Amino acid sequence: MKDSEATGRRKLPRKVVSQPGKVTIHKIPTGVRGLDDILGGGIPEFSFNIIAGAPGGGKTTLAHQIVFANATVKKPALYFTVLGEPALKMLRYQQQYSFFDESMLGRAIRFINLSDVVLEEDLNAVLETIIEHVMAANPGVVVVDSFRTVVRQAMSGASELEMQLFIQRLAQFLSTWEATTFLVGEYVPEEMRDNPLFTIVDGLFWLSQVTERNAVVRKLQIIKLRGAASVPGLHTVRIGEAGLQAFSRTLGLVGNKVKPARRRRLSVGIPELDKMMGGGILEGDSVLVAGPSGTGKSALATQFIAEGLKHGEPGIIAIFEERPQGYTERADSFGLNLKAPQKKGKLEILYLRPLDLSVDETMQEILDAIDRIGARRLVIDSLVGFEMALAPGFRADFRESLYRMIGALTGAGITILSTVEVEDTFTALSFSHYTISFLTDDIIRMRYVEIDGQLRKVMVVIKMRGGNHSKDIREYVITDKGVVVIHPRSTDYVRLSTGIPDRTGPRVAQADKAAPEPKAKK
Amino acid sequence: MRAFAERLIACEAGDHESPGRKSPAAYPVCERLRPHLAILVGNTGVRSLFLRALTQAEAEVPALRAIRVNGDGSLAGAGKLEAPADPEELAKGGVVLVAQLLGLLLAFIGDKLVLRIVCDVWPNLELKDLNLSGSDER
Repeated sequence: MKDSEATGRRKLPRKVVSQPGKVTIHKIPTGVRGLDDILGGGIPEFSFNIIAGAPGGGKTTLAHQIVFANATVKKPALYFTVLGEPALKMLRYQQQYSFFDESMLGRAIRFINLSDVVLEEDLNAVLETIIEHVMAANPGVVVVDSFRTVVRQAMSGASELEMQLFIQRLAQFLSTWEATTFLVGEYVPEEMRDNPLFTIVDGLFWLSQVTERNAVVRKLQIIKLRGAASVPGLHTVRIGEAGLQAFSRTLGLVGNKVKPARRRRLSVGIPELDKMMGGGILEGDSVLVAGPSGTGKSALATQFIAEGLKHGEPGIIAIFEERPQGYTERADSFGLNLKAPQKKGKLEILYLRPLDLSVDETMQEILDAIDRIGARRLVIDSLVGFEMALAPGFRADFRESLYRMIGALTGAGITILSTVEVEDTFTALSFSHYTISFLTDDIIRMRYVEIDGQLRKVMVVIKMRGGNHSKDIREYVITDKGVVVIHPRSTDYVRLSTGIPDRTGPRVAQADKAAPEPKAKK
Repeated sequence: MRAFAERLIACEAGDHESPGRKSPAAYPVCERLRPHLAILVGNTGVRSLFLRALTQAEAEVPALRAIRVNGDGSLAGAGKLEAPADPEELAKGGVVLVAQLLGLLLAFIGDKLVLRIVCDVWPNLELKDLNLSGSDER
């Protein structure tokens, strides 16, 4: 008996049968910077979508950007206007954006006013008019703005079933005609539950404005998008001269390359500190430099960037408190020239005072600068300044976004040094007033200590995720060379970490030194 | 703007100027423009534009007061013009009306878009030496 007979199974021919392939869903671009990433590559072709939200959210501008990004003479875009913003005013305002290309109007982009049909006739007439224009033009993109007014007017004389049938027929017809459709309308979130339109559509783009005290930030949510893996959540949107720009919650950093297996040790530009760190910072690490005001955090950060530049590694300094000129002048006083690399495009000092910018937008500024110059080192000076520069309502997102950005950038091998101001309590050695140490691979703590009637400065490497490091508490000074670590660890004191140490060793005779303060002199 | 209006009227009239006409030569220009504008702004929008242009033009050429704008934006009432209409006055009225209309469009959507619409309607129109920017006079 053959095996197949024994098992009762029919033996399949050994011929390889090719599996029927899945349909490829092509994506069309939105023309909105950042949005295609959020949508997982773009908008699925032939989809039936709704752009919804409250007035002033940017719905019409988004529709225009999609239209201008896709319309061609061969596959034009039809823009049906209905009782919403009059077309003349729409054109008046939209032409202010840089994406607006008047040469496309008439041939590649056609505006058609449906107001008269909507006002004077019924849903069937509206549908027939749309069909007539679509059949004549064979468009690739169709927009109905505002669809809400079509529905509102039509519903006055039609049943809900008729309305649903109208939407169904419209969706079916436009998809069959291989048009990607966008219905623009003013809706409130509560309407999503009962309105059949939201069930029928393939894509639902929700634009809103979030107000927190005096700050307003626009948000976009892709509530659904059939045929694409969009990034969930609320994404920040800004409307500027180029129209809408979207900032993905993931900052478009998902899937970036990972850290190289063998990582170099990078010099901080302070030889003794390099030794304390086991030879330097591991490439792709995130380093936190914590300390109170005046301990030299910014000086150390400047040396870190300057050292990178010396080795051909472009850098970015993102500052939130000090102005770029002050930063450059301090570097000059240490003998570090930051002006020349800026002119050569190897260094950018970003002075960011975003106020009502969201954290994602601010981070996008940093990411853009990194891309521009191919930066390998980044300084964020300081995290406190960064957080304070944001509008109060958006500080809640700060740590989450910072975590994503640092994770993604260090993952791509960029080494980040962030400074954070902490208060010296003289009872404990805190690293930060909020929990950010999870963001960092390495922590350097700087602090004041009271010794022999002087307020001196010490530093210690608290943590290095990538290897062993010195546990010594080392005194340092800030000279015309920047931060310079001086004495080896002192064994004459205990409780240095509290800032008020106890002497355990012999007292060394100290020479009297006049205070170098001109104002104190007569 | 008036030079532009004159050019449109001349282009539309071609060589077929009717000497004894009672309606302004602007009528055919308005009629040619009307469906193109109606697609863009609807009949209501066209009516508003023409009504505004006519009101402005009437202040300068009182003879235009006999003209009415229909619901679809078309012009009516030419027959009621006081006969015999002064041909010069008639011609001037037409130019002023078209200039006002073009001026309105220009104020709303700018010269590039206005020229685009006009070129769609009159593809053979000669636009050389035509300067729309800075021309406030309608």
